[in-house]
Amino acid sequence: MYSGLSLRLVLLTYPKGEIKVKKIVATVLLFTFSSSMFAADVITVKGSDTMVILAQRWAEMYMKMNPNVTIQVTGGGSGTGISALINGTTDICNASRPMKPTEKQKLKHRFSSLGVEIKTAKDGIAIYVNEKNPLKELTVQQIKDIYTGKITNWKEVGGIDSRIILYSRENNSGTYVYFKENVLDDEDYSPSCQNMPGTAALVNAISKDPNGVGYGGAAYAKGIREVAIKADANSPALLPIAENVKSGQYPITRFLFMYVKSKPSGAMKEYIDWILSEEGQNIVTKVGYFPLR
Amino acid sequence: MSQEESADTAAVSVNEQIEQLKLNDESVNEILLDMKSYIDLARKLKFSGYMQTQFQASDGIGGAPYPIGNFAGGNFPANVGSRFQVRRGRLKVQYENDLTFSQYVVQFDITQNGLGIKDAYINIKDPWVRAWNMRMGVFDRPFGFEVAYSSNFRETPERSRMSQTLFPGERELGAMIEFAPEVGDWTNYNLKLGVFNGVLPTANENDNSKDIIGRVGFILPFEEENIAFDGGVSIYQGSVRSNSKFIYSFNDAQSQFTVDSTVTNAGKQYDRQYIGIDAQLIYDMPSLGGASLRCEYNFGTQPGTSSSNSFYNPSTIQTLDIAGNKTKSTIETTNLYQRHFYGLYISMLQNIGTKHQVVLRYDVLDPNSEIDGSEIGAAGKLTTLGDLKFSTIGAGYIYHLDDNVKFVFYYEKVENETVNGTVAATSSLSQYTKDVNDNVFTFRMQYRFPW
Repeated sequence: MYSGLSLRLVLLTYPKGEIKVKKIVATVLLFTFSSSMFAADVITVKGSDTMVILAQRWAEMYMKMNPNVTIQVTGGGSGTGISALINGTTDICNASRPMKPTEKQKLKHRFSSLGVEIKTAKDGIAIYVNEKNPLKELTVQQIKDIYTGKITNWKEVGGIDSRIILYSRENNSGTYVYFKENVLDDEDYSPSCQNMPGTAALVNAISKDPNGVGYGGAAYAKGIREVAIKADANSPALLPIAENVKSGQYPITRFLFMYVKSKPSGAMKEYIDWILSEEGQNIVTKVGYFPLR
Repeated sequence: MSQEESADTAAVSVNEQIEQLKLNDESVNEILLDMKSYIDLARKLKFSGYMQTQFQASDGIGGAPYPIGNFAGGNFPANVGSRFQVRRGRLKVQYENDLTFSQYVVQFDITQNGLGIKDAYINIKDPWVRAWNMRMGVFDRPFGFEVAYSSNFRETPERSRMSQTLFPGERELGAMIEFAPEVGDWTNYNLKLGVFNGVLPTANENDNSKDIIGRVGFILPFEEENIAFDGGVSIYQGSVRSNSKFIYSFNDAQSQFTVDSTVTNAGKQYDRQYIGIDAQLIYDMPSLGGASLRCEYNFGTQPGTSSSNSFYNPSTIQTLDIAGNKTKSTIETTNLYQRHFYGLYISMLQNIGTKHQVVLRYDVLDPNSEIDGSEIGAAGKLTTLGDLKFSTIGAGYIYHLDDNVKFVFYYEKVENETVNGTVAATSSLSQYTKDVNDNVFTFRMQYRFPW
């Protein structure tokens, strides 16, 4: 109704004989502005698979309390979420790694904005093995040597005499990037790594493979066994439990992020503020991750 | 059948079904493994592209004694005041091997005029610190901001007159090293330095001299405030070979061109040297959207011809006769003119939400900064069309329908320097005693698919 009215007003405003192009431009401008003025409170969230369950729980709880707000959550990986933020197809991007300089540059080009980073939770990256695997602990250096292909048999790290089967994530995964940069010191994964599309698929594969090893968010470690990690040979072996991750003692600890294009306002700001509130952070704990405070 | 027998039969049947399921599982795994090799290939091979179709209208008619739209997508043909065009039809194919850090890139441009090659290069990243790239082939010249700023993102339909004049086609054949670290303390600094043929994008080399182009850039982010200040300094150190013995240099004291006609001038190299400074301020307007203020200022020495201030390209100029002279009829248009120029643009972009953008741009190119318009065309000055300063002010609105489609409405008002009133009526400058009708309105639709 509004758009129709604006069209009629424009046609009446211009006297006969004026350039038609002006009429068309003005009409399109009014139509597009008017259509965007009545947008409902729909917030789209896309990105990290590690965070997808957490993001769904947040959204469900928030929508219950605020029925006028709709929050649509999808996964796809941190890289996919960041691309969606740059394309303008998501309002919030979930990422289990920080944005890269090249990604920030693209956001700058499209929206003239640096993006706003919000830390929402902490996570300890767990190292999973099959429950039949007797191995109890690994050092960070041993993990690096395993994933870069320098160690290929479990007996080299105190396990049984059997070949190590490596499972990893796809390169659009934030966990893949974080693990590469922080555990492998930016060295390459061994070419023998089998890349899985999501953490659930990776966990499933290891549960069927007695020689398998994988990594992922602590919340996913169900049906398989986590290995205790030592920062170095002389450090204590720690599991990714709340006490160790929150204190920062667990050696592979990271933040889980949300990114938005510019400083949030309106419904989006209220939603993010709620996530960072005690209520939102309680959900972090329930899902299996670790709150910020 | 007894209960025991029927229980045995049921157990056998369940076992058979389990075996069958295991077999099915293995066969599905085999199929998945086979498919995985194709999926891995598909992940390495990336296709992207965009198409820009447009309607343009001018207040002048093509075929007038002066060009219309020559910096707005190409000259309007004779008797044409409006037109439809497929301005760009890009298709980029990229193959990336993560293990060897190598990249193959080829980009085609498909328009109503046919098929052309825009990019064709190999890029190799250093496998140790991952900060250095080596690139060879046809790719953007590493100078300033606008040249390498993709037309896919650019808010104005075309680059400024300055960038189009100094870097026609934007790309060049050459090799380049780039320092652009992704992690560590140096992520806010970058360097590009390359060696190029110094001719047109896909043209063959025409002399034995190579041109050096480079840019040192910085990024200053103030993330708390969502403000960034980026910038850089660029150089172009090159030369062109003159086919002619007639070299025109501007004598500042006399405020006119003087001619050097020493026979040995033909075949000599003449400077093509630019220095550029660019800066971009990016800031977030609360509740409105991001905004950018961009500017670039270039100056230097440009070897041109009498009729053009684009660089002197011997490949496109008529061959000399045996004495090193051109035929008399072509002397005025093919001899080498050395001019000191400056050019700049300032643009302001404001996002309104995620779908709307407004843009304003002002650009200037003074190809001969040593002479004023009132002197151009006066007797004895030997000045030509190539000395004329132009400024353009443009305003536009961009609407992003979705992540694929955007509409651009852009109007540009082109102003030329007015020349001396005594200019001969037969001179090509005679049209420019007043501002000519060469303003252009563009309505563009763009469709892009993921990059």
